[in-house]
Amino acid sequence: MSETSDRLLRGYQAQEKRFLERRFPLRFTTENPALRELYAQAKGFRWNPETDIAWSRFDARAYAPAVREAARLVWSRRAWGAYPGLGENTALLIRFCLESGAAGMDAKLFLSFRPAEEAKHLEACFLFAKQLGGYESTPTAAVARVSNQPFAQMALDPDVPVEAVVAALGCLDDQIDLNLCLSHLQHSRDETARAILRLVASDKQRHVLFAWTLLGDRMPRLDAAGRAAVGRAVRDMLERVILAGYRNTWLLPEEAREPLLAAEALTAQEGLGASTVAQEKAVVRATLAQVRERLATWDVALAPVDHPELGRA
Amino acid sequence: MSTYLPETRYPLELAPAMPDVWELWQRAKTLEWDPETDIPWEELHPERYAEHQIMAARLHWSRRTWGEYGAISESPALLLRFCLENRLPDLRFFFTMRTQEEGRHAEASWLMAERLGGYFPQPQNPPTVSAVGTHGVRRMAFDPDTSLEGIFASLVCAAEEILIDAFKATVHKATNPAVRRLMELILRDEVRHIAFGWQCLDAWAPSFTPETVENIERAVTQMIQNVEFNGYRNLWLAIEGGSATPLEIDADRVACEAGLGGTTPEDEMGIVPQFIRKIRARMAPWGVNLPMFDHPKLGKV
Repeated sequence: MSETSDRLLRGYQAQEKRFLERRFPLRFTTENPALRELYAQAKGFRWNPETDIAWSRFDARAYAPAVREAARLVWSRRAWGAYPGLGENTALLIRFCLESGAAGMDAKLFLSFRPAEEAKHLEACFLFAKQLGGYESTPTAAVARVSNQPFAQMALDPDVPVEAVVAALGCLDDQIDLNLCLSHLQHSRDETARAILRLVASDKQRHVLFAWTLLGDRMPRLDAAGRAAVGRAVRDMLERVILAGYRNTWLLPEEAREPLLAAEALTAQEGLGASTVAQEKAVVRATLAQVRERLATWDVALAPVDHPELGRA
Repeated sequence: MSTYLPETRYPLELAPAMPDVWELWQRAKTLEWDPETDIPWEELHPERYAEHQIMAARLHWSRRTWGEYGAISESPALLLRFCLENRLPDLRFFFTMRTQEEGRHAEASWLMAERLGGYFPQPQNPPTVSAVGTHGVRRMAFDPDTSLEGIFASLVCAAEEILIDAFKATVHKATNPAVRRLMELILRDEVRHIAFGWQCLDAWAPSFTPETVENIERAVTQMIQNVEFNGYRNLWLAIEGGSATPLEIDADRVACEAGLGGTTPEDEMGIVPQFIRKIRARMAPWGVNLPMFDHPKLGKV
């Protein structure tokens, strides 16, 4: 296809070959009722962005052109943020399958649903951006760089324990993402924006619960080296990805924040599905405190971080 | 994470570009179902069947579970490839739903085996694992030297198509209401999966190079000879016989005759040659020439 995609595929190929898949015995019985329940909930709480959001009731003309322009940019960025979930979770599903046929079916079934849920979030963001004037397919170079993370490769890396992948992606990034989504919902007034955020948050809540439940099951069995790998993965995710602006525009390098930062401010002011910088800072600080406390129960220390925009958190 | 290779993700196009495939994605979202609640399990009544029939049906549905699991553990690798290669958004959206549906099929087949008396987590003789364990799609998906067209043709237009041809030809024989409903629900999803494969290949066919055509011919031939004729779907078809027990080989027939799913050798004698003739004719306009296949039980097909 292209030299880059060929190299990336060969990378996956090399990673896959390092696993010795033992498919049989192939067990389906429930090992962890809480995970199986999350899968059952995913089957029960299905929704469709095309039909479960009252698009016909959204009147874009009720907003000034500058507001529409800002909001379409914000919702486009949200689509760029949702898109990686398709690949990451697919890679994680394959990882669980490569590790064992005998164990982990609760997680596998749950993860078989997740890429489609992420695709629905992606579609909802795309459709709303379209209603607001058009989806923007290309971020600025800085945003492209920070949002283009090789998490699918990490999920298939046999040198990174699966617990570390789940901790970094699920317990930290997904938790921040969920809490931000809830903040946007709390501060939104537009009916359509609220409907999207509510539906997306209901899925994200499950995704986060999945991560904490899985770790709750596996961490007590993990040795010191495994726990250290979990700590490293979470710290790496925090310092090199989250604090670099993966989810928050105000964490991007100063020269790379506009026009997104202004767009988010205006979108938040008009209640179209965003939070102010102050609100987002509070969410990130609270989330880090929450994640740190929960990880500490498994003797995984997440040291405080210092950041010029966030302070000590 | 610095040791990993950077992707080139942008521009991230999301607008539909293949209306037929986009429609399959839209349709899939409206036809979701739940194996726990959408099958009339109360009408299964395993106690009404003879012991050997129940054993055969348990073996049959366990085999189906192993086969469906391949679509959880292997073919999702294709979605990773679509993402890396920046394929059209329609493909990426649809394939997320396909993975979800295949997970549901695996769960439903497992539940059927369980509720008939118990699921078997492995073949009776471990060497049979090589016949029923993998169709090799994950390896193909991660291999840049195997064209996407070849994978589509072999996985979707061959492996899935024959599965559905067998379902279509025998669903009327499933007199048990729970089994029948399950087969209908799986069939409904699989029809979309197959439509996806054919629609993509039809759309790409004008740009096929001689290498693409050769790749398709090789991949489909291998899927028929090394997977289908190795007993992946039905052990009765295994050319070498393998190490499957007579009970396992006969399970599909006994289950089918009891109305509990499966096919008889007579069914297979009709379904497989017809399927091969069909895909040979369907692929011919693309310049694909599938060879004749020799099978000891089916003859030259």
